[in-house]
Amino acid sequence: MTSSRRWEGLLFVGPFLLLYGVILVFPLFRGAWLSLHRVALFGPGHFVGFENYARLAGDPIFQQSLINTFLVTLMIVPPLTVIALTLALALNRAGRGATMLRGVFFSSAVLSVTIVTLIWRFVLAPDAGALGELWQALGWEPLPFLSDPNLVLPALALTTIWWSLGLPMLLFLAGLQQIPREMYEAAALDGASRWTTFVRITLPALRRTTILVIMLQTAAQLQLFGQSQLLTAGGPSGASRTAVLFLFESAFGRWELGYASAAAEVLFMIILAVTLAQYWATGPGAEGERGFRR
Amino acid sequence: MRRALLAFIVALALGSCGQNDGKTHIYLQRFFGECGAEYGGSTDVAKAEGECGIITTLVNRFNAENPDLHVDVNVVAWPGYPQLAAQMAARDPPDLVTMHAGVISDYAADGLLEPVEPYLKRAGISPSEFTDATRLGVTIGNRVYALPWDTHGGLFHVNTALFEKAGLMRNGKPVLPTSAEEFLQQARRFKQMTGKPYLIQSNVGDPAYAARNQYTYMMAQGAVLFPDPKQIRLDTPVGRQVAAFFRRINEEQLGTLNMDTPAAIAAFVSGEGGIYPTGTWMIGSFEKEAATPGRPLYQHYAVFPYPRLWGTRVEYVSGHAWVVPARKRTAKQQDAIARFFRFMADHNFDWARTGHLPAFRRLLADPRFAALPHRADIAPLAEMGRPLPGYVRRQNAIEGIVGEEMAAGFIGQRPIDVALKQAEKRTNTLLGELN
Amino acid sequence: MASAVDRGRLTPAGYAALGIGALIMLAPIIWTLLLSLKNNAELVGHSEAALHGPYTLENYAAILGNSLTMRWLLNSAIVSLGQTAGVLILASLAGYGFSRLDFPFRRTLFVIVLLGLAVPSQAVILPQHQLFAWLHLHNSYPGLILPGLVAPFGVFFMTTYMRAIPKELDEAALLDGASRWRIFWKVILPLTIPAQSTLAVFTFLGAWNDYWWPLISATRSDMYTLTVGLAASQMNYAQTSGLGFLMAQAIFASIPILIVYIVFQKQIVRAMAGTAIR
Repeated sequence: MTSSRRWEGLLFVGPFLLLYGVILVFPLFRGAWLSLHRVALFGPGHFVGFENYARLAGDPIFQQSLINTFLVTLMIVPPLTVIALTLALALNRAGRGATMLRGVFFSSAVLSVTIVTLIWRFVLAPDAGALGELWQALGWEPLPFLSDPNLVLPALALTTIWWSLGLPMLLFLAGLQQIPREMYEAAALDGASRWTTFVRITLPALRRTTILVIMLQTAAQLQLFGQSQLLTAGGPSGASRTAVLFLFESAFGRWELGYASAAAEVLFMIILAVTLAQYWATGPGAEGERGFRR
Repeated sequence: MRRALLAFIVALALGSCGQNDGKTHIYLQRFFGECGAEYGGSTDVAKAEGECGIITTLVNRFNAENPDLHVDVNVVAWPGYPQLAAQMAARDPPDLVTMHAGVISDYAADGLLEPVEPYLKRAGISPSEFTDATRLGVTIGNRVYALPWDTHGGLFHVNTALFEKAGLMRNGKPVLPTSAEEFLQQARRFKQMTGKPYLIQSNVGDPAYAARNQYTYMMAQGAVLFPDPKQIRLDTPVGRQVAAFFRRINEEQLGTLNMDTPAAIAAFVSGEGGIYPTGTWMIGSFEKEAATPGRPLYQHYAVFPYPRLWGTRVEYVSGHAWVVPARKRTAKQQDAIARFFRFMADHNFDWARTGHLPAFRRLLADPRFAALPHRADIAPLAEMGRPLPGYVRRQNAIEGIVGEEMAAGFIGQRPIDVALKQAEKRTNTLLGELN
Repeated sequence: MASAVDRGRLTPAGYAALGIGALIMLAPIIWTLLLSLKNNAELVGHSEAALHGPYTLENYAAILGNSLTMRWLLNSAIVSLGQTAGVLILASLAGYGFSRLDFPFRRTLFVIVLLGLAVPSQAVILPQHQLFAWLHLHNSYPGLILPGLVAPFGVFFMTTYMRAIPKELDEAALLDGASRWRIFWKVILPLTIPAQSTLAVFTFLGAWNDYWWPLISATRSDMYTLTVGLAASQMNYAQTSGLGFLMAQAIFASIPILIVYIVFQKQIVRAMAGTAIR
């Protein structure tokens, strides 16, 4: 390859990389730099090395927020993956009905988080909430989803699953349409049952898609913020406070810019580590299939 | 395609239109919502209702009465502080901003606000005209940093129909407790006679509720919550006594447990409890209910400041105020701000129609004010209300911490001494990080 | 290669499950719609009043009657379209470079782009704000559009999609003496229309619903986007005393995106089929 050909490529990726470097990489490094300072939103700061990180390590609120983040991600990703796959299997057919239903199941994804939490507050509130009314009509005591520390994370998970079905479902649909018809025809000729076909042909063919969906959603849900902030304000007593809500409160609520930056760096490292671990654990694939985040 | 491109460019250009009308412009930023559809350019303040309506018509009227000035209004989502902080960071803050009294100390300490004495002087306003509660809220060190606008604080909103059923009415007025023991007795009686909880509480997602309770009844007993800018003192015998009291209420199920604010409001309006301790801001809505036939609160609504349970009659309050962010201004703009202050001071009565208490002493004695529904009952709040000391910073964040911990303690999710200790520790850590 | 669209029939239980699922998806949205058609005062403490008449359009009138709503709509449209166009251009160019050209540090640079996906937006928002303040870009359209242009997903998506296009096409064109640019413009790009549609919809969606960056960057009300403007219009305790209005805002803000989705629906599924696995 001639050297001019080698550098031509840079011209194509250059514009994006230039903006990327200035608008994302530079602020990221600046945030890392800030995390080494004790600095408030206004006013000068001074360099304190890793003091913020040490403080984070001993901060029970931060630790709680990390645990909450992991728990809620675990509560969301498996059910979301299974439901999205099931829907894709059921709706992978031609016809007006299927098209309409695909639209229905995608419709929640177009709403903003503000609207979603508003709607779900109504569903989940024990008094005057839709679920509460239904429960009472059935003669049961309504569950206080938003005020019981044991129920609040599942409530967040439920809200998020409802909201996030759209994209995984579409990814699975696409994956299903990739499978050549010949494979199904061969299986039918061999007299395979529907279940066998599913387990032996469909699932393995969907392996890459499934990995993709899981990696995307894990990275996205580890950054869960809006639902936690708007539905429960992180409560009761921090039971639903996620890591991003913690760093947001530190920055905008307490004006502790350095401390918030340190928390952000820690979260970044964790998401990176989890994503890489998932990637390597699932075997080699095409170069770096990574995630979509909200 | 080309036409679309042209339209796009035109739209972009429109985005950078300037103003050239010969008037002096000052830029005002406030919350309270947007109601242009209903009030538009109306200047009829007397007919306006609600926070949004009244502030909109007031500013319209100011613009109409001062043709050489123009106040440009920027409405922000409550409480507007992320935006304000961002604007200050970008060195482009507004000229006038609505700010809660508890937040002034943060901005003032960082030199982001101008002391307003020059404006007050030019407007002929003396700080001695302010009520105690508001003057304390806007004075930091020895300087005044804002024109106070109102006082708002907690109130006991009472469903008098249920009180009557519980036998707690006398001469047409509800009987409120005068001691902690009486409170519990009356609450138990209320529950027994009506089958409904005595208190409707917004325990969920409303740290301000728990913080207000803890602060108020500690302050009433003379506790110094913030002996200096670097620490809070909550884990004291007084603190434990107050916390134990509220824990008792929930243990005996004399109050609701699982409601957030919208649920609590709905419950009170549906007649599901005797008292809803929320604040001045709900008077308007509840008054409307009390005036609507067929509703549970119809003609059966009364409201009072928090009762004295121990010590003196003192209550934790906050308030809205107008601050002037620091930036370069022309002499004409400064004059405009002074004139705006004068106008707002003159119209403080109109603002008092929202349910918040006036900031000017003279209005408390004004017959117009007394004639507004329930004002005679709640007027004492303006003088018995106390904000936190001016040197306390990050008051909002601290309220969040204290409220979160104390709510957990009151409901029984953790022992009250643990809650108090943790609230203290977290707050002191926060204050310790400040320069 | 014919794709395996299911031609079998669902069991009755399957139909029932789908029906219930659709109901769970739609019920909250229908609830929102009903609430938006009620008078605010009627809903205070009685949100179930939404289930019966009288219904009114006054909340929508209030939204439209606000002199700034149309301006906010225009701002959101400009920012969303601008960001979409920008992302399509930048991501296509970069995708082409990463997928079929060899240049120094190609692998390293691609990994650096992918790492960006792990960065929570709240982590960089304040340093970004500082940067833009220094560049005097706040309260402007470029200030609102630029941050969204650096989302790594676009580059990743286009790179993966383009990688699936056989390199023989390039080589044939090269033999005919075409420049890289011509190949990009005339050969590769037209083949990526489905992917472009998908990326366009998702970028538009993200830009339209973005709240925090427009909140702290466009602080003057004439530069608000629709999400920020609608939030600002709410009075205190809007959830109780202004519920109908709140919900009407929600519906109003969702309509443009729903339209975009419906228009592009077909393209999306077609594009997905081309990208997910190789």
